[in-house]
Amino acid sequence: MNTRDAKQILLLYRGAIDDSDPQFRAALDYAKSDPDLSEWLREQTKCYDTIRTTLRGIEPPLGLPEKIVRKRPIPFPRDWSRIGQLAAAILISATVTALLVKWSDHRHPPIVGPQEILVTGEVLDLTCYIADNLSGPDHAKCARDCIRSGLPAGIKTPDGKVYLLTGGPGRSINAEVADYAAKTVTIKGKQTIRDGFAQLQVEEIRKL
Amino acid sequence: MSADLEFENLVKLYYGDLYRFGFSLTGSEADAADLTQETFYIWANKGHQLQKAASVKAWLFTTLYREFLKTCRRRNRFSNESIEERSEDLSNVPANCAERIDSRTLLRILGEIAEDFRAPVVLYYMEDLSYKEIADVLGLPLGTVQSRIARAKIQLLRRLGETNLQVEQAK
Repeated sequence: MNTRDAKQILLLYRGAIDDSDPQFRAALDYAKSDPDLSEWLREQTKCYDTIRTTLRGIEPPLGLPEKIVRKRPIPFPRDWSRIGQLAAAILISATVTALLVKWSDHRHPPIVGPQEILVTGEVLDLTCYIADNLSGPDHAKCARDCIRSGLPAGIKTPDGKVYLLTGGPGRSINAEVADYAAKTVTIKGKQTIRDGFAQLQVEEIRKL
Repeated sequence: MSADLEFENLVKLYYGDLYRFGFSLTGSEADAADLTQETFYIWANKGHQLQKAASVKAWLFTTLYREFLKTCRRRNRFSNESIEERSEDLSNVPANCAERIDSRTLLRILGEIAEDFRAPVVLYYMEDLSYKEIADVLGLPLGTVQSRIARAKIQLLRRLGETNLQVEQAK
């Protein structure tokens, strides 16, 4: 290092602020061995202090902080993490709702009909038929008794489709169909289907 | 602490430093006050994005400087004398300056230095920031900052020396 190099480095030296900065160490050591450089450095540092004091002596106008505080804009709260959480919650909620609706549709398909049809078949006591597969003339008396006692009645077509016979809201059909138990009849009525289970709301019974 | 109180405390803590920085850059009290005010309003809207509380001061200085550059671009005030890139001859640089400097004279001379060089040299003199911190505030590489400070300082000292000489001759 020579005096010029040391000067070049020490031009930036500010005194105590830069004492811990390693870039000045070698140049400062060099300056200790060079009286002229040492004197130049002293003057430079003094000059730095003078300029610094002058700049730091600039006084802001009176009332500036109060004015800044008074005219402070009301910030729009944009908490992005909360907005993100909210968006995620909405997305999850929408997905769950969509899945639930789909699942519900799957489990409870809408009622098909009502549709007016004619069904020909054997009148059944559904309890014995479903539980024990009992039907036909051999089971006629039991079927009639069961239907009369209020157990559900049905009709089974020759192709094996079974309908629950009903009389419409608040009206039992059992008394009317009990006498046709195990007999083949044609029933005119309104068909409705839910969950694959068919119901026939009886309007007219014709014995074949 | 409420947001209002936090804002007030921040203003109390830094308005002086920011105003002085703004004044040294613009040479105008009104512009410095506007820049200071605008800086705090930007803080009010965007300050919550700052992760490290320790870097608030640097953030405020950076914001003020960016606002200053925007103003300069708007006003198209690039008539300052540029500082040449060549290596400076230190033998011509005055080794001392007056015991006291008139702040108006100092600000006038600072105003004659190109904006790119003025901000580094003002931070160098005014704030207890390391060179790395000055570089961070201005968004410049460390080497560029040091080089600009050195050249601006030489320019400043020469101008001050010339001014002192004129004053002495006038006496």
